[in-house]
Amino acid sequence: MADVLKEIEREVRENRVVVYMKGTPSFPMCGFSAATVEVLREIGVPFKAIDILAEPEKRDAIKVYSNWPTIPQVYVGGKFIGGCDIVREMHARGELAPLLRAAVGG
Amino acid sequence: MTSPEEIRRAIEAALPEARIDVADTTGAGDHFDVTVKAAAFVGRTLVEQHQLVYQALGGLMPRIHALSLRTTAL
Repeated sequence: MADVLKEIEREVRENRVVVYMKGTPSFPMCGFSAATVEVLREIGVPFKAIDILAEPEKRDAIKVYSNWPTIPQVYVGGKFIGGCDIVREMHARGELAPLLRAAVGG
Repeated sequence: MTSPEEIRRAIEAALPEARIDVADTTGAGDHFDVTVKAAAFVGRTLVEQHQLVYQALGGLMPRIHALSLRTTAL
């Protein structure tokens, strides 16, 4: 688990916006993951998606990493910002787009 | 599987003054919409608020397939 946690730490540091999800952005395997990707696409920032179904060792590690029991999980600038409900709520409040655009430097 | 009543009781045990609404969205006991309003959320981020609820749900979480959560500080 320690190695996987280190890899996660590197992923969220090296990519400005990362989503850990079930399936891929083109073929999400869960409604919550699909809804989260939908919001990120609507805002139009580049993001890295990691399919925890294809990397099962990350499925439990990511929950430990963030102390968060569910997937998807979104990281911006190395920081965990929430799952599907929080991402949708921040988007509805107009808070998500500025955060993401600031993180990707545009 | 679990029930709205079990979910409510688990949250109440951790956040006794919270106002809690639980809806079983499919009627099958595994998809729920949960709204929690609590004074304990004041000064906490949304992530921290949700973490408090997840901690309260603890052992129920593996029995819930899908949980939509909305938290508000009172």
